[in-house]
Amino acid sequence: MSDRRRVNGPSGGTHTPIFSKYLAKDVKELNRPTRVRAPNVLRKMFLKTGVTPSASGSAYLEMEPPRTRNAIGPGLASLSTSGLKLTCTVHGPRPLPKNAPFSPHIILTTHVKYAPFATRKRRGYIRDSSERDLGVHLETALRGVIIGDRWPKSGVEVIITILEGEEDQWWGDDRGRGSISAGEWGMMSVLSGCITVASAAIADAGIDCVDVISGGVSAVVRGSEISDRLSPGMLVLDPVPSEHEEIVSACIVAYLPGRDEITDIWVKGDIGYGSQSSEDNPSYEELTDNAVQAALGSHRVLVGALKETAALKLAR
Amino acid sequence: MSRHRLVKNLDLDNELDDFEGGKDYDDTEEEISEADKEHLRAGTLEVKEMLGDAANQVSEKEIQDSLWHYYYDIEKTVNYLLGVAERRNKVEQKKKKTGCLSGSETALSFAKFSGDSTLFNIPVERQSILVAPMTPTERPQSGPLEEKPKMSKLQVLAASRKKKAQEQKAGSMELISKDVKGLTINGKEDAVRKQIPERQDVSMEPNTAKQPARGFPFRKRKDSNPHEKSPKAPSPRPKKPEAQEDMPMEVPVVMKAEPSAFANTMFSSTACLTDTASLFTMLYVAKPTNTADPFSGPSPDDIVIAAQSKASSNKGGKGPPKTNGEKKADQIANGIEAMKLDNTPRATSKNLEVLKEYEKAEKKNEANFVVIGHVDAGKSTMMGRLLYDLDVVDQRTIDRYRKDAEKMGKSSFALAWVLDQGTEERSRGVTIDIAMNKFATSKTKFIILDAPGHKDFVPNMIAGAAQADFAVLVIDASTGSFESGLQGQTKEHALLVRSMGVQRIIVAVNKLDTINWSQDRFDEISQQTSAFLLSANFQKKNITFIPCSGLQGDNIVRKSTEAVFTSWYTGPTLVEELDNSEPVLRALEKPLRMTIADIFRGGVQNPLSVSGRLDAGSLQTGDALLAQPSGEKCYIKSIDLDEQPVPWAVAGQHITLHLADIDPIHLKIGDVLSSPASPIKNAESFTAKILAFGFLMPMKVDVHRGRVHVPGRVKRLVGTLDKTTGDLVKGKKPRVVKPGMVARVVVDLDAQVPLESGMRVVLRDEGETVGSGVVE
Repeated sequence: MSDRRRVNGPSGGTHTPIFSKYLAKDVKELNRPTRVRAPNVLRKMFLKTGVTPSASGSAYLEMEPPRTRNAIGPGLASLSTSGLKLTCTVHGPRPLPKNAPFSPHIILTTHVKYAPFATRKRRGYIRDSSERDLGVHLETALRGVIIGDRWPKSGVEVIITILEGEEDQWWGDDRGRGSISAGEWGMMSVLSGCITVASAAIADAGIDCVDVISGGVSAVVRGSEISDRLSPGMLVLDPVPSEHEEIVSACIVAYLPGRDEITDIWVKGDIGYGSQSSEDNPSYEELTDNAVQAALGSHRVLVGALKETAALKLAR
Repeated sequence: MSRHRLVKNLDLDNELDDFEGGKDYDDTEEEISEADKEHLRAGTLEVKEMLGDAANQVSEKEIQDSLWHYYYDIEKTVNYLLGVAERRNKVEQKKKKTGCLSGSETALSFAKFSGDSTLFNIPVERQSILVAPMTPTERPQSGPLEEKPKMSKLQVLAASRKKKAQEQKAGSMELISKDVKGLTINGKEDAVRKQIPERQDVSMEPNTAKQPARGFPFRKRKDSNPHEKSPKAPSPRPKKPEAQEDMPMEVPVVMKAEPSAFANTMFSSTACLTDTASLFTMLYVAKPTNTADPFSGPSPDDIVIAAQSKASSNKGGKGPPKTNGEKKADQIANGIEAMKLDNTPRATSKNLEVLKEYEKAEKKNEANFVVIGHVDAGKSTMMGRLLYDLDVVDQRTIDRYRKDAEKMGKSSFALAWVLDQGTEERSRGVTIDIAMNKFATSKTKFIILDAPGHKDFVPNMIAGAAQADFAVLVIDASTGSFESGLQGQTKEHALLVRSMGVQRIIVAVNKLDTINWSQDRFDEISQQTSAFLLSANFQKKNITFIPCSGLQGDNIVRKSTEAVFTSWYTGPTLVEELDNSEPVLRALEKPLRMTIADIFRGGVQNPLSVSGRLDAGSLQTGDALLAQPSGEKCYIKSIDLDEQPVPWAVAGQHITLHLADIDPIHLKIGDVLSSPASPIKNAESFTAKILAFGFLMPMKVDVHRGRVHVPGRVKRLVGTLDKTTGDLVKGKKPRVVKPGMVARVVVDLDAQVPLESGMRVVLRDEGETVGSGVVE
């Protein structure tokens, strides 16, 4: 009888090994990425629609990888941080299955899935809670923008695959802390990207919307320039978690510029505990407003990309 | 960062053009001509030399402004500037004393945001943009106090020169680096304003800041300096310009990035791929370049399927030549059919030459015989005895039957139960449907078709007789029974089997034990039967008489041990006589015909199976068949002979076919399977040579052909035929055909029945056989 046993891999994700010779060094020697952009400057964004021919609408979004100042340090590919890469496909509007109950408006379903290789810690093939969380947020954000009444008895599926995600922290900070999550700050920029790319894909699918929606993130970060005392907090737009020593709080909004509406907002971390906002303790409103600014920035790219596609389509 | 600026500068001309008209935005610098600039530069250097130490107190900008003001008069400029420097010194000392608005600490943190400018050191050109000069009175508030008079003077000057400078505007765009910097921000601001035009009006007005928030433009303005002020605390006025210095913060500039290498591979055109393909020479390929689209042509499989379907359609081609449209439709249909076939892999034909195989494989003769006779003549019992004695049925089964039969009070029926399997048959003690069984002797394989003797079941007997090569006529020898039989089904059956084409008949004179093995009785029966059979067109050499006893088994398989019997009979036993029958000639070469005797589900693997006797021709696994009258095509998945799978079968064999690609609704018992190449035709009317059993006239009849029987009517009596020559008897048309006469009749059918010439039909009316004959 043949041996039917399998050697199964570990059930959870695994880390890429980091060898001790790097760890032995001082962390500062290692090439800790730092933010070279001004606090108010967003990462460059590449957005393209119509990338999946089989889908009714699709889009691809990538953020430029953070640039490191000095390129010495371990040249491991697994340590290099790269930008966010998302693909989104929109299927529909299509009729609901026969057994589905009547619905007077379109039924929106969103799936957000990390590719197993999207982050340094490998992701499973089954959607985990964070992915479901992202899906729910995305659905909330998109529901406010789609004019659902125009498609009764139909459904639309928005499927986002995260090809490259955002790390929750710099890998060098990861050591010793074990599996304690660093607050999943990466999710915020991922969600912002998801909203923008889904908006582009929905527009590509030709689904009626009140406006194009875009996502924006702002965060209060704390650096480590002053080692003795706590460095002051700083408000930045479009934070890359690996570039900052500590993220105090972050906010992501899904924003409709044309209507000045926010369809989804998600704030995490310590924010607004002081009665008077100060330089290193911005208020909740300020954080949100800055997130809106970031959303406006990505909105511009989004509009540009859509115009490009429109021009292509009209020229044809 | 510089790259961003450069890109922004590209559309600077347009932006500025748009704005030149606006009074609010007349910037003095923009009107300076190339020549003036040269003057200014030279003048500035001179003034700086002359000022010496005091040059630190005044900015280059101030020097230039004053030079402009005094129209390049260097002495006057120097005097003025010295005065300015003195005044400024005083102001600064005063400030330090009072400590009002030191701003140094805030400047520290602000350095992060606006690296190149600190508090109160903001370049003038930046400030001027951020102040919305809706009304001229607003303007002085925005800038530092010292600059106010100069600015207005310059403005006046500029206004006077405006028209003159109109032509030089384009040239004046190439400004000194400082100016470019300022203009860049201008440009940026322009872009913002263009994007959301109404925002400018609202947000630029300092007073409106107190109005309630209305839309995002206002909010945008509000958060422009998030680190400096909270919404609750009104911001102090001097901080305002500082806030505006953070202008880029408001509208983060997001440039569209170039696609990464990954994105390039994913979304760029495939042009580069084809290039690389041409770089490499392909080994083992005659043509070095690939065709652009390997799937453009039909695949090899498609070609084969197309050829096959074409060939088969040619073979079965019938009817008038098709028009173009029909051909096209046919092609499509063929294509669809081919695709459908592809889905369910069917058994492929081995393309055997079945007849050669048959000749090679032939070891034993095969014969089917039907057992006929009057009801209760002992047909089933005799066959049961035969099977029991040949060990086809084991002792235990017979014992069980005996016990069960005794329970029912019919102990003599035990042997008949070997063939009569149905509960109704057993309880009533009569055979109802054809029962089939097989046995083999040393020479021949036999198939018994046990026909019902009861007159109600003659149609079933016809079905059995249609499959038989020869017949065994069982006659009850007991007193009275023979006579009634000769009037009853003995006669009818004999005539029927003869008209069904059976030539050889073995007459088994049964139940001799009941008449004490009387030779006289046997001879009497033989004589009478022989006379009748001869009259029914059986040839004398084809008639054999065997005396026997089915119940006791004498002279069936074993020789009788009865002394009385053996004294006068030395002939062969029934089985020996069966064995003597010559192998019948099969219609092997004729087109395939098979009448379906039974349709059943042959298991999970074979959802549709049919059984029956192969009337003519041969077939093999994978052959296509045409089922008539439905006209459906099907394929042979496999063939079973004696419950053993065989690759082929020939006429005369009782086989089970497992079919594929056909729905069971298209098949029913009595349907004919034929080869698509020479299909059997469906007929609604036929002409037949009929031997009348009763009076035959134009009337309603049941037409029996094998298993199938359909209602119809005799439409026309064409004429009577001479029995011996078969010629049409001259004379007037007969109105009625008397029993025993042969006539040619035309019969119409109510339904389509597969019929062809040479087929045997039986006409019956109200349970009586009125005639039988051959289709012409």
